[in-house]
Amino acid sequence: MRYLAPGSLKEALDILRREDDARCIAGGATLVAMMNADLVAVDVLVGLGRIAELSGITETDDEVRIGAMTRHAEIAASPVLTGALGVVRSAAGQIAHPAVRNMGTIGGSICHADPAADFPAALLAADATIEAASAEGTRQIPIGEFFEDYFETALREGEIVTAIRLPRGPAGARGHHVKFSRVDGDYATVSVSAVLVMAGATCSYARIALGSSGPVPIRVTAAEEALVGSPLDQAAIAEAARLLAEAADPVDDVRGTTEYRLMLIPRLLARALNTLKDGETASV
Amino acid sequence: MSEMDVIEKQPVTLRVNGNVHELEIAPARTLLDVLRSELRLTGAKRSCNQGVCGACSVLRDGKPVRACISLAFAAEDSEITTIEGLADGNRLSRVQQAFVDAGAVQCGFCMPAMVIAATALLNENPNPGVEEIRHGLGGNICRCSGYVKVVDAILSLTEGSKS
Amino acid sequence: MSPEGVTSPNPVGDAIGKSVPRLEAREKLTGQAVYTDDMTLPGMLHAAMLGAPYAHARIRSIDTSEAEALEGVRAVVTAEDLPKKKYVGVFLKDQMTFAGDKVRYISEPIAAVAADTLEIARKALQLIEVEYEELPAVFDPEEALEADAPILHENRDEYPCPYERPEHPNAVAYTQFKEGDIDNAWAECDVIVEGVYETPAQEHMYMEPCSTLVAVDANGKITIWSSMQSVFRVQTMIAEAFDMPMSKVRVIAPRIGGGFGGKCDLTNQPATVALALKSGRPVKMTLSREDDMMMMKSRHAGKIYCRTGARKDGTLVAREMRLFLDGGAYADESPEVSTVAAFFGRGPYRIPHVNVESWSVYTNKLRASAFRGFGNPQATFASERQIDEVAEKLGMDPIDLRIKNALQSGDKWLGGQTVEGGSLAECLEKARAASDWDKRRQNNGKEVRPGKRRGICVSGMSHISGMLSAGAAVRLHEDGTVTVNTGAVDIGEGADTVMAQICAGALGLSLDQVNYGNPDTDSSPYNFQTSASRVTYMVGKAVEQASERVREQMFRHAGEMLECAEDDLELRPGGVIGIRGVGDAAVPFAAIAGRSLYASGGPIMGTHNWLFEGERFDPKRALVRGFALDGIGVFTFGAHVVEVDVDMATGKTEVLEAWCAHDVGRALNPGAVDGQIHGAFAQGLGYGLYEELVWDDGRLVNPTMMDYKVPGPLDLPYKIHPILIENPSDGPFGAKGIGEIALVGTAPAICNAITAATGAAINRIPATPERVLRAILAAEGGS
Repeated sequence: MRYLAPGSLKEALDILRREDDARCIAGGATLVAMMNADLVAVDVLVGLGRIAELSGITETDDEVRIGAMTRHAEIAASPVLTGALGVVRSAAGQIAHPAVRNMGTIGGSICHADPAADFPAALLAADATIEAASAEGTRQIPIGEFFEDYFETALREGEIVTAIRLPRGPAGARGHHVKFSRVDGDYATVSVSAVLVMAGATCSYARIALGSSGPVPIRVTAAEEALVGSPLDQAAIAEAARLLAEAADPVDDVRGTTEYRLMLIPRLLARALNTLKDGETASV
Repeated sequence: MSEMDVIEKQPVTLRVNGNVHELEIAPARTLLDVLRSELRLTGAKRSCNQGVCGACSVLRDGKPVRACISLAFAAEDSEITTIEGLADGNRLSRVQQAFVDAGAVQCGFCMPAMVIAATALLNENPNPGVEEIRHGLGGNICRCSGYVKVVDAILSLTEGSKS
Repeated sequence: MSPEGVTSPNPVGDAIGKSVPRLEAREKLTGQAVYTDDMTLPGMLHAAMLGAPYAHARIRSIDTSEAEALEGVRAVVTAEDLPKKKYVGVFLKDQMTFAGDKVRYISEPIAAVAADTLEIARKALQLIEVEYEELPAVFDPEEALEADAPILHENRDEYPCPYERPEHPNAVAYTQFKEGDIDNAWAECDVIVEGVYETPAQEHMYMEPCSTLVAVDANGKITIWSSMQSVFRVQTMIAEAFDMPMSKVRVIAPRIGGGFGGKCDLTNQPATVALALKSGRPVKMTLSREDDMMMMKSRHAGKIYCRTGARKDGTLVAREMRLFLDGGAYADESPEVSTVAAFFGRGPYRIPHVNVESWSVYTNKLRASAFRGFGNPQATFASERQIDEVAEKLGMDPIDLRIKNALQSGDKWLGGQTVEGGSLAECLEKARAASDWDKRRQNNGKEVRPGKRRGICVSGMSHISGMLSAGAAVRLHEDGTVTVNTGAVDIGEGADTVMAQICAGALGLSLDQVNYGNPDTDSSPYNFQTSASRVTYMVGKAVEQASERVREQMFRHAGEMLECAEDDLELRPGGVIGIRGVGDAAVPFAAIAGRSLYASGGPIMGTHNWLFEGERFDPKRALVRGFALDGIGVFTFGAHVVEVDVDMATGKTEVLEAWCAHDVGRALNPGAVDGQIHGAFAQGLGYGLYEELVWDDGRLVNPTMMDYKVPGPLDLPYKIHPILIENPSDGPFGAKGIGEIALVGTAPAICNAITAATGAAINRIPATPERVLRAILAAEGGS
């Protein structure tokens, strides 16, 4: 095995084109754990740590752009991620523990595509776009098309995720990520990411995604439609939850049985919506 | 030629506790492995080897990270501090001394990492309350202490405790 | 009763009762402490073991030739390399180092490799070819006791066993205690509660995975450094497994990163010894976390059928209990665990009519072994849940009900042993007062925080402290300082410090003047093991008395030197003997030591050795059948009050605060006692709420710290309040053991509090959010 540490994106993309079995390593947290357990073998590791252009959070009027190599800790503390984007900040702050948040990167996390992770659902709720580069150029992948199955993404051979682009979201929107796990810092048994706009007592916008509820994060537009126009009363939430649970296909494992996860969906949805409805800012 | 000879070694430069080490290692090796085997700094421990228990914690540029899931190569551009780098000769750091005084130590296997986590926490927030301390230690598992005296040790270093 | 009728001296100086820091705190906090995996010897090889892929299979053949041919491989060992039919174990000896004819659980070690690097060793393991013939397997203890169940050990008659084995070949051991007239007692009861309780296989999860380093010298003597709980148990069992004299086996304790029972007896020492013998090189084998979890040991999962009857006034009348403990594929400590479980089946209460039966059973799973509490947590979970149910049915305060029935000094334990220091009622009262019980209880069932229901409740608990034998030696150095030697391995609980404190207190020395020697079978006096809450009580007594022997010898010298009667002498703090009432008439220890070495009498050394010989079962009082250990220790008592919030949406329980009252006899080091209570409470909380090894057709599905969760800093309350009660025992300066008891009653106290909060009955632990939520929904549906 060889380790290469390109200093620029271009250099990294050249390596990926040149080498047959090269794999990028971002923060390393997940990949190295898998290497330790002999679960993966790699010929060429491409460390992305030296590529400055992949790190950091920048903003324009329309969007916030998070470099793929930005660490969870930085995202969790970002003053830029407000309003709708609070859902992403809130999710980042709930990933594992401080030391892991100092290592893990958002790009690494979404490329691993573990549906039990916190970012996939949060980014879906935030309507993110994934920017990917290859030697051929750059393309934009809507988040809804990025996750394809357990640990599978739409990323092609030779592509690197360079940034996560987050639209500001509608005016007055607030976002929040509710995570339920067995113990602190564990993967979610179920998580709910929600972005909401309230016009007085009535919900005027809702975008909801479930984590740990199937092979990819789950979003159901009909469920959002059930919420919009309602005062987010029990009946509306129950209907939205029913539609979401119908679309969910959670696993049965040590973090919870399938049935329990399905029971959690309405309960956590209500918690997320009530938190946002009451105007509390996303607390981590 | 054996299987192991095929594995190429590459040069790497690590800065650990203020010392510069030029090494030749296989790229798959973790920072923890290199610290323990090559540099004989055995204070960072291997327990879960998957980044969950925290026993391997070291500081990378002042922030705690898991050495067991860090590649040594990826640490090349950073300043690494291990538990061995905290005391000044025989003089313990204030965090180490607080752990002694609070009776926080039992089997001790998690303790170097606990001290690392506590040091980082206090650098960031010199006066954490109980809840902030518990969050700061979040990923560090101790099977002996129930964490009570660990929290006490850190609390003893805050402003509130001196009044 | 006191051990051999020996009373404690009055401590001199301030070493006793003081929360002195650990002797080794500095080395542990600076990274200098040396655990086994931190050691390297010249020419040392690295090793790993191969585990079986089947839960139950006959081994047709093992071909290690390819593994041996891999460059860098220095030795490959299998059952073929060890003496045949040399079974090891504790009472029932049924285990070999490597599976021979059959494998009986997934990951049972079948071979090991030592190589130049760990990577090569692991690679070589993959090259070992084994042919298996899969056999039907059984995973549930009750199914294993059925007539047509697959048999794990057809050859069990080959196994040395000092007791009469139960009839069913899958039954490891059976114990029954029967007192009174259980059949007619139920008619006397106004209320009877009945239930089935389930407790999990808990993983020890000591932070340091099992690790062993072995060197063999030119004369064939082997030296073992290992993460273990007893140098002497390892020495005995290695000699047994390898059919070699114990004089050729030396075992040394480095620092140990926790044990909790999981490092009792043998772990990976025999496999490492086999590799060192075959390769002729030092070999180190440190298990990966996953191998440790899949290959080593766990707590016995339990299924407990229990029935308790009481009169209207709260008098407990009758108790029936049947326990099925899942022993896994080999006996290990199962016979002792199931007998101890039965011993605690009645609990620390006066119940006149009792029938307790307990089985430990073979199944095709990881072997279960010693684990903090040793069978008692399983029995106590069922017992304390039922006591609470009785209180609920009678509308009595659960503390009042327990106090009304609490055993008192002079009462008889189940089986007939006399209870000394019967302080359960005092523990309950202290916990009640400290927790502001009456006030907080008014919140039971209330929504104090949004979406959560509050509950506070209690459990009583008891355990033993003592067992078997221990010795100590105290030597006076030429300068008047001393060295203490014992065989007590400090696995993290703080024995080194407490032993040094006992010696310091007995001789009036400061801790700086006491050196605690590292346990080493070449030079340490015998000690059985760090287990059974016994080190402070057993080894501590030996240290206290060995120190007394030193004092007596010094007094003889001092009497001659000061020309006075020995009776007029006193120890003074700092290592001085003087004449009572005469301030300046004194000699320092150094002068006495010098006199002994060069002028008169010879070197001064004190030793003390003893065996705990408790009261035997009383056949007139109790019917005791099957395998049963009596006279195993003195009784200890405690009570926990726990307050919880239960999230009604998810079923998740948060423990808010806990008050843990324990009679420790005398707290030699109160800070260390607090630490034991904190830690045992934490481990008991894990047992009650989170921890459970899960198998799917014999395959462990959560053998990592990612999937098997022990409580972290945010999963435990900061407010765990130890309340120390000191009714002096016959132990050293009055102390008795605190290592295990605080785990024993923690899970039932939490579950009782969940019931107090929600009305839901939690009879299976861990009380996962899912189980609690389902119980809440069931309770709501039922009302």
